[in-house]
Amino acid sequence: MGFDFNSLLAFIIFGITIGVVYGIVALGISLIYSGLDIVHFAHGEMYMFGAFFGLVLAHNVGVPYPVALIGAMILTALLGMAVERVFYRRLTRAGGGYTVAGMGMIICGFGMSVALVNTAYFFFGAEAEPFRANLDYIPRLSFPGDIEVPESYVLTAIISVLLMASLHYFLRHTKTGLAVRAVAHNKDIAYLMGVNVPLMISLIFGLACGLAAAAGVLIGPMQSVQVEMGYLMLMKAFAAAVVGGFGSLPGAIVGGIMVGIFENLGAAYISASHKDIYAFLLLILVLMFKPSGLFGVEAKVKA
Amino acid sequence: MSGVGEAVLEVKDVHAGYGNLKILRGINMNVPTGGIVTLLGGNGTGKSTLLKAVSGLIPLMQGDVFFDGVNISKMKPHQRMRLGLVQVTQAKEAYPAMTVEENLVLGAYTRRDREATKADLEKVYDFFPVLRERRKQLSGTLSGGEVQMLVIGRGLMASPKMLMLDEPSAALAPKVVLEIFANINRIAKSGVTILVVEQNVRMALILAQYGYIIRDGVIMMQGEADNLISDPAVKDSFLGGSVADTSKALRN
Repeated sequence: MGFDFNSLLAFIIFGITIGVVYGIVALGISLIYSGLDIVHFAHGEMYMFGAFFGLVLAHNVGVPYPVALIGAMILTALLGMAVERVFYRRLTRAGGGYTVAGMGMIICGFGMSVALVNTAYFFFGAEAEPFRANLDYIPRLSFPGDIEVPESYVLTAIISVLLMASLHYFLRHTKTGLAVRAVAHNKDIAYLMGVNVPLMISLIFGLACGLAAAAGVLIGPMQSVQVEMGYLMLMKAFAAAVVGGFGSLPGAIVGGIMVGIFENLGAAYISASHKDIYAFLLLILVLMFKPSGLFGVEAKVKA
Repeated sequence: MSGVGEAVLEVKDVHAGYGNLKILRGINMNVPTGGIVTLLGGNGTGKSTLLKAVSGLIPLMQGDVFFDGVNISKMKPHQRMRLGLVQVTQAKEAYPAMTVEENLVLGAYTRRDREATKADLEKVYDFFPVLRERRKQLSGTLSGGEVQMLVIGRGLMASPKMLMLDEPSAALAPKVVLEIFANINRIAKSGVTILVVEQNVRMALILAQYGYIIRDGVIMMQGEADNLISDPAVKDSFLGGSVADTSKALRN
């Protein structure tokens, strides 16, 4: 096979679209980490539940796809907040605050992941379900050189960018966003400023889980929806977060896009059957040459 | 209710600490409306712990705290703050990754009166002109004195009845300390009650009308600032403890 510039371009475009999805899951992981100092290992399951909520809303309830997307985000946000409130917060209180809960929190996250997967088996069964969404109203994108981007990819790119932009606006330009950042930097001072810290912690968790749900509903029409889908997404989103610099929000997005591109190029030019390895190859390379990640310096300007 | 007199803050037999470690062992303290009261003590005597217990960052093990006649012992920090009891944290605890103005806006987080908040922002800038110059800068880039002005300004933005200041003179040059203390005095004159926790005994006693001296988690001594400043026991207690004993032993 001779070198074909057009197909290279196509792989990169597809890599970016899938990469932004990794990016928004990684964004949630980073948000939880920078805000609450939890490395949230059950985040892949939030993504999986989001996909199932979207599926149920679209197929069984019969709402249009955009409504299913928003509904899934809200439901998953509520699920995430409940999990945090009932399980994680208890643990942090016993450990003396989020920052010091440490290893217990990691184990708890793993346990939560297993528990959520099994809960999902109970409700949704082991079958992989196709997510049929009517996306005819979304235009296909054509690039020079006969590259066609299908509707679901176009939609994914648009929604992801919208989500990132609104998160950025929320954090930078609203008073509640300012309070969220204050809680992320230092909970005691935020408390003294009159910020309702426990409420903000719920909000951070809800936001992060809502983002994961959006990713699930967006990926749904591209792949099928199944209970075990969370693990691989978690690993790739982690890779994305670490590549970008753990805890950095812009880093999460850039990292996600890099993982997406790297993965697609690897699958195209090296071996498609080892597609899932490339993300971790990139992870190892970044850890070897820039251990703090691309935006890592910025990531830890915490007080 | 006018002038100095009635206690706005009453601390009654407060015991508090961290986990199983009890640091405060029965503190009683009154801060009268409109006055400046100072709480003095060396490192590790329980000054900051008492502030945290009053602002609600740590729970009380025993005793009660009243603010403006209300028992606030069981309230969360943000609820106490909404009553007008505002703690100004140590200067190193500004938000370094936020701009000066964002820090100040955060101080007014609980307020809904936009016009008055804006006016107060201008007032803070008039108090500390250097903050106006630097309002778009990240507060991490400010000097020590400027950050101290910022955290005090941030406290003022909450439109407090009472400000509790945690070592406003810490790690600052004497000239800067003088400026900060002059400003604290101006704030008190504007009708805000002040409780200032200090290690800089002389400066604090010049500023305040009344002083409490804390040691090993109990109030060791209290009185009018003018009396305390000339009390030889005060001097002793501040070079006090093991350091003074050692230096005495060395001298003999």
